[in-house]
Order: sequence, then C-alpha cells, then structure tokens
Amino acid sequence: MSKRLVSLVVILAIAWGGLALALANDMEPKLGLDLQGGTSVILRAPESTDEDVLKKAVETMRSRIEAIGGVQEPEIQVSGDRNVLIQLPGVTNQEQALSVIGQTGQLSFRRVLAQRGFEDPFADPSDGEDTTTTIDLPGVDPTTGLTINDDPTQPAWLASYLEDGTVSEVLQVDGTSLMGEQVDEALPYFDSTENRWVVQLGLDSTGADAFETMTREAAQFGLYVDPQRRIAIVLDGEIVSAPWVTPNEGISGGTAIISVGSQEEAQDLSVVLRYGSLPISFERLDVKKVSATLGSDSLQGGLIAGVGGLILVAIAVMFYYRVLGLVTVLGITVFGSLVIAAIGTLGRVQGLTLTLSGVTGIIVSIGITADSYIVYFERIKEEIREGRPLLLAVDEGFSRAFRTILTADTVSIMGAFLLYALAIGPVKGFALSLGIATVIDIFVAYYFTRNAVGILARSRFGEGGWFSIRGASGVALEGGTS
Amino acid sequence: MSAFSRMYRAETDIDFVGMRKRWFIISMTLLALSLFGFLIRGLNLNVDFEGGVTVQVSNETNSNVADMREALTNIGLGDARIEFLDSLDGSSSFRVRTQALDQELERELVRTVAETAGVGIEETDVEAVGPTFGEEITRRAIQALVVFLIVAALFISWRFEWKMAGAGLTALFHDLTITFGVYAVVGFEVTPATVVAVLTILGYSLYDTVVVFDKVNENVESWSEKHTYTEVVNKAMNQVLMRSINTSLTSLLPVGSLLFVGSYLLGASTLREFALALFVGIAAGTYSSIFVASPLLAVWKEQEDYWQHHRRRLEGRREAKIAKTTVRTASAPQASRPPSSAGARPRPPKKKRKKR
Repeated sequence: MSKRLVSLVVILAIAWGGLALALANDMEPKLGLDLQGGTSVILRAPESTDEDVLKKAVETMRSRIEAIGGVQEPEIQVSGDRNVLIQLPGVTNQEQALSVIGQTGQLSFRRVLAQRGFEDPFADPSDGEDTTTTIDLPGVDPTTGLTINDDPTQPAWLASYLEDGTVSEVLQVDGTSLMGEQVDEALPYFDSTENRWVVQLGLDSTGADAFETMTREAAQFGLYVDPQRRIAIVLDGEIVSAPWVTPNEGISGGTAIISVGSQEEAQDLSVVLRYGSLPISFERLDVKKVSATLGSDSLQGGLIAGVGGLILVAIAVMFYYRVLGLVTVLGITVFGSLVIAAIGTLGRVQGLTLTLSGVTGIIVSIGITADSYIVYFERIKEEIREGRPLLLAVDEGFSRAFRTILTADTVSIMGAFLLYALAIGPVKGFALSLGIATVIDIFVAYYFTRNAVGILARSRFGEGGWFSIRGASGVALEGGTS
Repeated sequence: MSAFSRMYRAETDIDFVGMRKRWFIISMTLLALSLFGFLIRGLNLNVDFEGGVTVQVSNETNSNVADMREALTNIGLGDARIEFLDSLDGSSSFRVRTQALDQELERELVRTVAETAGVGIEETDVEAVGPTFGEEITRRAIQALVVFLIVAALFISWRFEWKMAGAGLTALFHDLTITFGVYAVVGFEVTPATVVAVLTILGYSLYDTVVVFDKVNENVESWSEKHTYTEVVNKAMNQVLMRSINTSLTSLLPVGSLLFVGSYLLGASTLREFALALFVGIAAGTYSSIFVASPLLAVWKEQEDYWQHHRRRLEGRREAKIAKTTVRTASAPQASRPPSSAGARPRPPKKKRKKR
C-alpha cells in the first residue's frame, strides 16, 4: 500500500471509528435547553460577594432543586465572579422553578408554646397510659405531626434537625410579626469573659419592640424547665435554633446575645440570621423558558436543514467537480463524524451542551469546509490550464491552496477564539462549535483531501473521461480548448 | 462558447475594476436604503438587549391581536407590544413583549397570554431579562467585535498589507450595514442569535476577502511585470470568480435550506429570522469581496508612486508594441500573456517596498 493510501485509511478509521466509539459510549452531543425545552436562569450576586458565600448559595440551590424531583441533570455553575447559571432541562413550569431558586428563605422569630414529648401535647388526655399520638389538627401532617405549610403569622408545629437530617426536637411555635427583614446585624464573636462563642443580634426599632414583648412573655416561665421560656428562630419552616431567654425581665433595646457551641455554629447562625438560607440575595438577570415543542421544532428544523443542505451541496459539487465532488462528499462525512465525536466527547468531559447557536456554528462551518475543497479544486484546474501535468497540478496545487485555506481559516479561528473569550451567552456556544469545526477543517484538508485527490489522480479517475479530474478541469490532455 | 463554460474555464475577462462606478452605485444605493431603514424604522431589539419580558405561544384558538390586547388590558398591561407571527403552514403564534415586571405580574402575564392563545402554561416560551443584563450582553458583544476587528486588521496587515486590511474592513462594514438594514426594513426581531448571525457574516466577509486578496497577492508576485495593478486585480477576480460563486452557493445552500425549513415546514420563527440574516449577510459578503473590496484596493494601490510609474512604463511599452505589431500585421492578442507562469519570474514589487 502506498503512503497515501495508508494515511487515508488511518484518517477514515479515526473519523468513523471515533464517531462509532463516541456513540457506543453514549457520548452523543448533549442537547442544550433551547433544543430540548427547559428553564434557564441567570442570577447575579451583589458586588464583592465572597467566593465561599457564593459556593454555599449554589449548594443550597442545588439541594432545593433536587427537592423538587424529576429534574434530569440540573446544572448550576458559577460564571465569572458573581453570576450563577442555572439550567433545568425539562422543567417547563417556570413558576415552580423560580420559587425554589434565587429566593432567600423566610426567617422568623417565634415564641415556643410547647414541646412535643415534653408533656406529650398530642397524647389524648382521656387515653390514660397510651402514648400513641392522635393528631387531628388543621394543617398538620398526621404522620409526622408537623405543620405542612408554615405561615409565620400562625402557630405551627415545627422541627429542628440534626446534621444527618433526623429530627432533633419538635416544638409548637406561636405566630409572630418579627421577621428576618427586621434583623440589622448578626455577628459571631468569641466572648472571652465567659469563654464561649456567641452571636450578637441587632434588630431595628420595630423589631426591638416586638422582641421585647415576646421575650418578656417568655420570661414568665421557668428557665431551663418550661419550653415556653424559649424563642425559636425559624427558617422556611425549620427551626434553626431555639435559645432560652435568660434575663427574667425579657430583652429590651433590640440587641441580644445568643450563645452557641462552636465557632462554626456561630458563623452559620449569623449567616442565617442575616440572609436566610441563601446567604445572598440575587438579582435575576435572565430567565428563559423554552417549551419542549419549540425545542424539538428547532432541533428538527436544524437537522432537516442541515441534512437537506448537505445533500444540495453534494449534488452541486458532484455536478461541478465530478469525481472530485465525490471526494468532497466523502470528506464532509469525515468532517461531520469528527465534529460530532468532538462535541460529544467535550459534552462528556467538559459538560459542553449543543445549543441552537452551536448548531448554527456547525451549519456555517459546512460552508467553510466546502470552500476549502473549492479553493483546492479551482487551483488544480488553474494549474492544469497553465499547462502543468496532472500529477504536478494536483500536488503543487495543494500546497498553494493549503496556504490560502490556512490563512482564511486562521481568520475564522481567531474570530471564534476571541468571541469565546470575550462574549457571553449564546455567542459562546456558536464560537466554540465554529472554532472546533474550523480546526477540524484544516486537519481534514491536510490528511484526507490531499491524500484522496493524490490517489485519484494516479488512478483511472485522473486522466479518464468526462467524470475524471482532467474532465473536470475542462482542458483536454492535448492542451486544446475544447 | 457560453458564458457559463467561459466561467467554468476561468476564461472570463470582466473588467471588475473598470466597471467600479457601477458597483459603487449599487452599493451606495443599498447602503443608503439601509441607513434610511435604520432612521425610519429602527431596529426591533428583543428583551435581551433592553430588558423586559417576552412570552411566545402558538395560537391555538385563532385569536387575533385585538383579543390579546383586550386580555392584556384587563391585567393592566395594555401597552404591551403584541406581534402576530404568521407561519406559512397556516399556523400562527403570538409574541407579547412588555417592560420588566415584578414576579407576580410576570406570572399573570404568562397565564393571560397562554389562556388567550388556548395553550397550557407549560407550552409557553418565556424570557425575562433584567435591564442590566441586556446592557451587558450588548456591551460584551460590541467589545468582542471591536477586538476582533483590530486583531483581524493586524493579521491581514501582517499577512498581506495594511491597505488590504483597510479594503477588507470597508467591505465588512458594507455587509454589516446592509444586513442590519434588512433587519430594520423587514422589522424582524434582533436577538442574541442575530448577533451570532452577524458575527458569522463578519467571519465570512473577511474569510472571503482574504481568499480573494491571497490571489491578488500571488498575481502581484508572478504577473505584475507586464501588467498594471488594476489588471492584476482584474485577473485575480476573474480567476476566483468561479470559486466565489461556488463557495457562496455551497454556503447558501445549507442556510437557504434552514430558511426554507424554518418558514415553510415548521413554525420555527427563530430559525427563519436567523437564517435570513445569514442569507443576506453571506450573499453581501461574497458580493462585496469582489465588487467592493477589490476595486477599492485597486484604486487605492494605483495611487502609490511605484504603481503609477509602473503603469506609465507599461503604457509606453504597449504603445511601442502595438506600433510594432501593426507594422508586422501580426495578430497577437495573447502576446501579453506569458506562456506559463513557470517562466522567468519578475521581481516581486512587494518585497522591494518592504525593504524601504
């Protein structure tokens, strides 16, 4: 086998084998939201937000999304220094999606009315020794004994949880008017006189009054004896902390000190007090919902257009360049296989998704790659017209045409690179697929086209009749004009 | 011999540069129309650029704009912009756009629009963009564009020369203006996808110009001994004419099928609008690299001292030659063509200028 044939076989094996391998490993390109339907949200954190805080917010959002259930492969990523991109494929109920993400939790301060298990408030008094609880309270889940939808202004049965998610205690808390917005500050610090970690809480004036009333009421009860001496800090229906009110006259002036076990607890509690469970309040930059219908329409449209376009291109080049057109058609399948394999692989490795603009980038690159063939073929024709022998025309022609292709592709790649680096949103997807496809174009031109045409020129398709390369050049071997 | 077979063999002899006035008038007319369109109608920027809410639904109840307007007025959004999108397959859809709304009102809007069109909330396509984000997208896109233009100009100056970069960029602005002009006149919505399309056109326009100038440069090296710059450019144009036609054909075929599929087979209006931008842009790009960039380059280069001297020298020599051939009564119209470019290569003038 000649060197050319070996290279040709190798590149065909790489392209088709690569595609087969990618598909066999389930690495077909991942579809973006605009092609399969779903909701995407871009949120922005306030300026100079700490990286750790942002990470924590992303974690919270992730667990909230997982809690909705049924979202396949949600993606949440931090982009730039303060944007958060959330992709929820398949979620077409925007209201539901938005209610979970991006909102800070609702924080409330509430008096504790009773503790379950302490005096067994659910036990039926007429039942004597029987400790099974019969719960028949409005809005309370009969199996857990917890209020289902907590409204902070109404009394509710709520639980606090240990780190592993098990219930630590269940308290009945009163309705309240003191909410998280009334918290001015919450700072963790180490109280060296008492040798403990505390959170210093500061409330605004209306908050201070409500807090004073609440704590004075609580202070009537026995310290460390009666649960009614406690104030619960509730976040989204979960008790975060329920400290005892120590001063017998209640707490006035709107400042309080909550003592906690460790530095970490102090920091967590102060974050919750300040921001709710999402440690930052986000600005909603962009919300986009694509229905599954539009998504599949676009995908279908893109595919039909792509395939239809390719067939038309194939007919045109076969008509015009004859046997060389065959090379083009084969080359475009090589090119297509490599592009699909590359995007599929990147989807697996880098999480790249193929969006509508990405598809466009590829459709555009079909044009660019077809042009590489045309530049080369026109060059061959020209060399033949200038009187070169066919083989020389094919080889010389390639090195000259390749220079042109390289220059023009460089401009495309440069553009793709810059757009990818500088632009945001859909432009990035376009730039990436254009860039990948253009690099593959250079590769295909050098390893596939050159060798394929080289082999053809040396076969009977070189100097043959109407269908041959010579035939396509329009110049007969004798050098006549017809 | 038919025009096609002459083109097929690259034996056309069109005086592209000589007929430049004709091309320039065509381009100027198109540019003027585009600018006129801008001024009169402006661009229909979508929410991504200005912030706001867009709801798009397919119209299942055959409602008309008045129905939709009435429903929206009931929830206090009577000033919303309502677009009725007609698809050629007989279906239609609504695109309703308002300013940025709070979440409550936004929900109401989506519900109202869906109800009026007779589809479920799940079947709506919604986009809500904060005003700052729109600004940012625009700013970043323009930033990327400017950097790209600078880098491309530097690259062409380095690879070829700065006058080619100048002519290439002029052609580029020509194409962009015409594309935006079409958008303004037709009233299609400008989306980030459109920006992508425009960037593509940018790439295409430059790509095409580079291919053409590459040929010009090559001809300058091998051909200019006996020809003026204008003739060199003309020859290059005639040589690449078929390439340009074929390339735009092969680029336009996929885009054209996108346009066709987008408007005839499916109600995907995004595809249609996108494809239109590409179609116009690519066509303009091919046109401008031959009919704008190259004549411009020729005119510009002919003003250089070197090429002026060269032209005068050649004219003198040709007159002498014509005199001689008339005396001998020999017809040698092909005499100015060297038998093959493999012959004695003249000294490339480009190198000489570089040393200076």
